[in-house]
Amino acid sequence: MNSNIDFNELWASQKTAKPNKAALMAELNKYKKTNLIKMIALNLVLVATALFVVYILWSNQAKLLTTKIGAVLIVLAIVIFVIANNKLIVGFKNISGAESNKAYLENLLAVKSKQLFMQTTVMNLYFILLPVGMGLCMYEYARKMTLPGAIFAYTAFVLWIAFNWFYLRPRQIKKQRNLLDGMIHKFQLINDQLIAD
Amino acid sequence: MSFDEIYNTYWQKIFRLCMGYVNDFDWAQDITQETFLIVWQQLPKFRNEANISTWIFRIASNNCLRQIEKAKRIPKAALPYDVREETTESIEPKLKLLYQFIAELQETDRIIISLELENIKQAEIAAIVGLSEANIRVKIHRIKEKLTIKFKANEQ
Repeated sequence: MNSNIDFNELWASQKTAKPNKAALMAELNKYKKTNLIKMIALNLVLVATALFVVYILWSNQAKLLTTKIGAVLIVLAIVIFVIANNKLIVGFKNISGAESNKAYLENLLAVKSKQLFMQTTVMNLYFILLPVGMGLCMYEYARKMTLPGAIFAYTAFVLWIAFNWFYLRPRQIKKQRNLLDGMIHKFQLINDQLIAD
Repeated sequence: MSFDEIYNTYWQKIFRLCMGYVNDFDWAQDITQETFLIVWQQLPKFRNEANISTWIFRIASNNCLRQIEKAKRIPKAALPYDVREETTESIEPKLKLLYQFIAELQETDRIIISLELENIKQAEIAAIVGLSEANIRVKIHRIKEKLTIKFKANEQ
């Protein structure tokens, strides 16, 4: 092999079968449809939860204000979780993908850092709102129990919250943090390649 | 330019760029398909202020960079490639080496050399990557040197 190996010619020798155009279009349309269904489903969940709040607030089932506040907090926790889970808060909507590699990497890094902060905040918010809401909801029913019964119910509840707060929450946050940290680190390394010289 | 024209003109080019980046036939097919998905979605928003080729190569190369997020590779593209196996096996040994050596480069270097080998003008590569033309020229020179050394070393 001589030193003037023609890389361009070698490169151009790679040919691949283009997928059938109709198949590609079918795939594209399927993608469009799936996205639409996902969006509709998410909105349905949100509307349903909102209706649930209205129902709790206006029905006569709950007599005490604490129960109503509790229900609202629980629903709020769920809604926040659903929204965050669907990456609606910090999505990639502002990144078109058609900017230069350098700009793209910088945008991606900014979004990922924001995402890291958001996810931790959302997780904390979720794990605060949910138990507080439940605790408030329980009050009305605990009042009707015997004292030992109420003590037992609240002890179990506190234990459950402690398990959530001290075990589940740190685990979830750590898992997400590790994933994002790893990604941010790799993007940073690639970004550095463009700054190096 | 209609999506059809883009599809016919750029499929091979984009595939080679992706292949240069990941050095994996099926994965490259997937990224190419994803790229055309983005192109298809964003084409209505494309204004002629940028060169269409620059626009498409930017989307494709950014999509390559994004592959980090997919720690676990998604399975093969669902599309039917009638000649998939044949194409995978018939790859020339020298070409295989070229891909292997490119794969050993840094991520951004892989993109730069793939674009260069695709005969894209250095000014356009600079616009795609986001570096100055002078910077790109130096980088291409160094990368080609590296590749030549690797080929020579392999020969011995």
